[in-house]
Order: sequence, then structure tokens, then C-alpha cells
Amino acid sequence: MSRTITVAGDVNAVDTRVLLAGQGSVSAPSLVVPSGMTKIRKIIAAASHDGAADDGAALFFLRLGGNAVQNGEQTIVFAGAGNQSVQSGSDAAPNVMVPFVLEDADIEVKPSDTISIAAELAGVDIGDTAVIVTLIYGK
Amino acid sequence: MKLYRTREGAVTAVNSKSQLTTVGSETAPGPLLVPTGVRSLKAVIMAVACDLATAADGAWLIRLEGPGLPEGPEAITAGASGAQVATGGSYANRAIRVELDVPVTPSNEILIFGENTGEDSGTTTLGVTLEFA
Repeated sequence: MSRTITVAGDVNAVDTRVLLAGQGSVSAPSLVVPSGMTKIRKIIAAASHDGAADDGAALFFLRLGGNAVQNGEQTIVFAGAGNQSVQSGSDAAPNVMVPFVLEDADIEVKPSDTISIAAELAGVDIGDTAVIVTLIYGK
Repeated sequence: MKLYRTREGAVTAVNSKSQLTTVGSETAPGPLLVPTGVRSLKAVIMAVACDLATAADGAWLIRLEGPGLPEGPEAITAGASGAQVATGGSYANRAIRVELDVPVTPSNEILIFGENTGEDSGTTTLGVTLEFA
């Protein structure tokens, strides 16, 4: 059996830890690890950016922590994005990312404790970004 | 059980290795030590972010070195990019994961370097996660 939790948030500055606590129309989904779940089996993560900054070169990574995560905080790089000049009109290029999927993540968690899911940008500002993450729990 | 440790940093010169020493808001996380209880580096996860500031083509690799790797250093392809003009490039890429099975020595340090080969691609941020088990 598996269970999921999905969270999303805006990460709009480099080198700033941002807690992902919302889920679209659900503003505060439960971050308690479901009963009986002892591992994060899989992670899905994606991000987009608006390119509203010149000379951008930043990567995205996750911080998984909180009381539920055993053996300390886990940090995982999941994407990179760049842009040279802010564009406008019909020459503005889209930035589309296929989700990163980490199979067999095998991260130990403690059921009924709370997990902290944060995202962060590192490098040079690329404008505003939207990040979404799904954790798939299992045994 | 797997454990994930990350470092990132800037790579700004061709054919010159740059050590990746930070983790975003953690500017001084200290040496990346192989966690106790693990025996192998099972995979690396890498993402490259370039500002495409030059009309050029370049590629990136990472180098893993240090006493945490008893069999010696490793070098792994991380990505490549190019741009026809130095004004309009823009992109977003997911990270890649490369499976390995490299022996490691717990409590010893692994140094992570990034390097730009080929032509100068501009300013690059390179991030690497080491997956231990």
C-alpha cells in the first residue's frame, strides 16, 4: 500500500529556504506521515520560472526534514534553469520542465510524526518560480 | 535506507575545476563526510543551470575526489548546452540521476568539483547530490 502527499509553493529568491505547505485549493494539507508508512518510496518534483531576471543560473533542491525524517535532513537536487535576458512579446521563450522522478528513494520516516518539505534555489536569480513536490510513502 | 547529501556552487571558467562547497542558504556546511553505516555511493543526481551569456557550446562534468573514495577519483558527465546568440537563451531542465556502485569510506571526506569543458558557456551553477547506501 502507498499513500501520497503533494505540496507546492513559490520560491522567488536564491539561498532562501521556503517551506512548501500549500496544495492548490487546499491551503494546509496534513504533513503528518500516515500511520503504517515507514519510508518515502518515490519523489516527484517539478519547477517553472518566469525568466524575469537577466543572467539567471539557478538550481532547485529539496530539503526533507522534520521529526518524521530519520537520520537527519536529506537534501536532493532536482532541476536547473537559466536565462540570459528578460524577453517580452512573441520572442519570449517558454520554460517547460518534465518532472524529475526519484525512484526507490528509500528514505526512512516515522509514521504519525510531521514531515517538513522545503525547496530552495541556489545560484543566480532567475525570477519567480513555482515548485511542486509529491512524496509517495510506503513500507 | 539511503542518505542524500548535496553541494552546489558556481563554475565560471573553462577547463578549471571549481569545488562545490555550499548548499543554498547554508554557506558553510563544512566537509561532506561519508555517513556512518554506509558502504557505497549508489548514485549521483546532478543539475546544471547556465545563464547562456555567450554564443558558444560547452559541456559540464563533475569530479569526485578525496579520502572518502578508496578506489580513487571519479569523473561523470553532467550535461551540455549551447546558444547561437548571447542575448535570448532560456531553458529549464530536470536533474539527472546516474546509478553507480562506488565503494566509500565512512567518516571520510568526498570533495565535489564542477568543470566546464568545450567553450565558455557563461556563468553556471552546478548542483550535485550524492546518494549513499
